[in-house]
Amino acid sequence: MKFRRPVRDERLLELLEEAGRNASRATALLTEMLADFPERAELARDILLREQEGDRIAHDVIYRIARAPRRATLDSRDVYDLIRALDDVVDHTEEAADSLGLYGIEAPMEQAQQLADLLARSAVAVEHALEQLHDGHEMNGELVQIHELENEGDRVSREAIASLFATGIDPMVVIRWKDVFESLEQGIDSCETVAHVLEGISIKVAG
Amino acid sequence: MDRLRLAVIDADSGFVRVLNKRMAAMGWEYRTLASPVPAEQLIAMRLNCLVVDLELLGPNAWSYLERVCEQIPGLGVIVATPRSTVAQRVRGLRLGADDWIGKPCHPEEVIARVEAVVRRRRRAHGETDRKPIVAGELEIRGDQFQAYVGGQSLDLTRREFELLHLLSGTPGQVLPREEIYQRVWGYAMAHGDRSVDVFVRKLRQKLETASPGWSYIHTHFGIGYRFEPEGEAAEMVASPAAPAPVEEAEDIAARV
Repeated sequence: MKFRRPVRDERLLELLEEAGRNASRATALLTEMLADFPERAELARDILLREQEGDRIAHDVIYRIARAPRRATLDSRDVYDLIRALDDVVDHTEEAADSLGLYGIEAPMEQAQQLADLLARSAVAVEHALEQLHDGHEMNGELVQIHELENEGDRVSREAIASLFATGIDPMVVIRWKDVFESLEQGIDSCETVAHVLEGISIKVAG
Repeated sequence: MDRLRLAVIDADSGFVRVLNKRMAAMGWEYRTLASPVPAEQLIAMRLNCLVVDLELLGPNAWSYLERVCEQIPGLGVIVATPRSTVAQRVRGLRLGADDWIGKPCHPEEVIARVEAVVRRRRRAHGETDRKPIVAGELEIRGDQFQAYVGGQSLDLTRREFELLHLLSGTPGQVLPREEIYQRVWGYAMAHGDRSVDVFVRKLRQKLETASPGWSYIHTHFGIGYRFEPEGEAAEMVASPAAPAPVEEAEDIAARV
């Protein structure tokens, strides 16, 4: 019986890398926006462009896996889960940026700045992990880092939401910031979903 | 008269029920509290007046009354309590209460006294507001919700003006961020909220543009802000170019 070697889709790996870079850029913009809010509120527009770019990349990836050969190195289901999670990172980032303007937020909260920073660091780790995937290298370091950042994000997010329910806080502040904190946390969670999918891929590739 | 905001601290259900009906009929915004709340929460309620039964507060009644009157100088405080001696009434009024009503009393009388206290306070506040605060090159006019340098408006937003008005009302005093937020925004400050810092930054930018040689708002790291005009050259205060204090200007105008 003759075995055929799996086909490595170079273009698909490039697109995934591109999606990682895009997520990393979008989250960096959000960090920048929150660090100097409301002076840098106009960055919401750039983040929206990143979100549209993310959709374009996701579409290209899905188009590509729909036509992938049976012997592809990466399982189509894994690639689909991966690109969806990457798209979610950018979507939640854009959602947080949009909420700042939509709710007429006048000034940032420190916890939002911390969460945005954790999200950006997670996205950088995701970007590096996808580079390692392309190069066929070990990505364990990045994946561990993403899990650690997610744990830290959970802690900050819980404390942030709890701080909104202290006595005497303006109910409008609670409504606005609870949504923003949740979007940021979901962005960090999506990075962790990327890490989970990558872990599965690395196990399959090693096996 | 604008819509009044009032809180009643009283556990006498019959009295409170009748009073509530009257206050509702007057179109006032009111809250009935069966137990005392911290002064910080009262600040957040942005009240015009507080009606309090001291008997409800037990042994802490005097300290509570003193704290509320001290921490919320703009709040009208009426004590409505049964069985009081002359000494107690004098003590209460000296601690800062605006009026004292002996119970049982007619709700209509309470309503009239609330109106009287609020009217007196608004009149006093209006007089204070009409008198501008002059600090450095800055003239802060409460009656116009605006500040001027050399007759030029700083184009302050309502929030920026309220912040400047609050800070300039306590020159040389460090106001913690939490207190600034409570007084300007009317709510307790959520931990980590940077609103005060952002608005101080905006205010400073406008002040620096309009009055470049002066520094008005000083940061006390980890605490809050202090208003104290500091010019590059102290002699600017005495120079003919500097604006004369309003009282002096008015005297000059009267002489002319």
